Amino acid sequence: MTPVEGRETRAVKEDSGYAQLAPLFAEMAELSPGDAAHAELRDRLVAAHLPLAHNIARRFAHRGEPQDDLEQVATVGLIHAVDRFEPGRGSDFLSFAIPTITGEVRRHFRDHAWAVRVPRRLKDLHVAIGAAISELSQRHGRAPTATELAEHLGLPREQVLEGLEAANAYRSSSLDGLLDASTTGIALEDIVGEADAELERVEFRTTLAPLLEQLDERERTILKLRFFAGMTQSQIAQHIGLSQMHVSRLLSRTLARLRNELRGEG
Amino acid sequence: MVQISAHPTELPPLRLVAADLAARADFDLDTVADLRLAVDEAASELVAAATPDASLTCVFTLDDERMVVTASVPARDGARLRQDSFGWRVLTTLVDEVHVTGDSGADPPQLGISLCKRRSALHDDVVDSALTEGH
Repeated sequence: MTPVEGRETRAVKEDSGYAQLAPLFAEMAELSPGDAAHAELRDRLVAAHLPLAHNIARRFAHRGEPQDDLEQVATVGLIHAVDRFEPGRGSDFLSFAIPTITGEVRRHFRDHAWAVRVPRRLKDLHVAIGAAISELSQRHGRAPTATELAEHLGLPREQVLEGLEAANAYRSSSLDGLLDASTTGIALEDIVGEADAELERVEFRTTLAPLLEQLDERERTILKLRFFAGMTQSQIAQHIGLSQMHVSRLLSRTLARLRNELRGEG
Repeated sequence: MVQISAHPTELPPLRLVAADLAARADFDLDTVADLRLAVDEAASELVAAATPDASLTCVFTLDDERMVVTASVPARDGARLRQDSFGWRVLTTLVDEVHVTGDSGADPPQLGISLCKRRSALHDDVVDSALTEGH
């Protein structure tokens, strides 16, 4: 391992205080990630650089996102930077960490920008439509149509169609959160078990299985229920406590991701 | 008929048109959501098979019973659509019928996917009310 101490560092104002931490990175790189000493050094490095993360978060203040959230996101960026930094590569930590943290904060803005701009009126409409879909699905045993929704809500059909369109146009995590309920408590294990058995039979299981492993559990369950257990999107929604519109968006995202990875572009 | 450039970033309008047509025709919302996903999947398959800078042509046909979406592209040499893939499983699950279409004799050869999604049989009453509304 190349000694890092004394290496030339960028002339960033905070540098003087942080430079003395450099040997700790070299020390951490020598340890295996499972080691308790490694975890301790990692915590120490993250804590010591927190002012840097907060400083970067402050530069993004007053853009419509709560400062607490920004600091949290910046801290996540800092943790990534500490984890990914390779002291042997020759650059110093700050020149690596600053773009990493800034990138994390920018990504946060990119992902949430839509959510911030969803007009109040559409949010309310979204909640009303989501609740009505759920109620009518349970009553009729199938998803409602736009006309049925409009009648149920006492709204013009055109407005319901607009709301449905908006649900798909805004890729918004804030919209998704609005309607999610706790689960119905119905045991899904049996249905997922059937889906797994079906998955065992398909020709493409060897290529698909490792990709499914990479999905988070909820996305994986939704995918299995729709494509290997034959449940409809509104049935899935009822079982796992999400709105049908949310299930639809998650499926859309998961399929796009799998497509990319199956083509080796992911 | 909708024509877009055969590129992954150009696909959103296509699924929007599919979903909006189906919702306006009073297909139930599960059917609408499935169609949206199916159009996305089919178009993505075709984009991957298309010649560089090609256009993707998509024809939507709607009647009282069903919606048929046929998308096609000029295909690269040797491009074909695998039917033993997860993508094909997705399509066959989402719609009632799916066919590979095309003209391998054309120059360049045309490759397409035709999707047929029926109104769910459970609600003829809805078909009636949609018809009286003039849809």
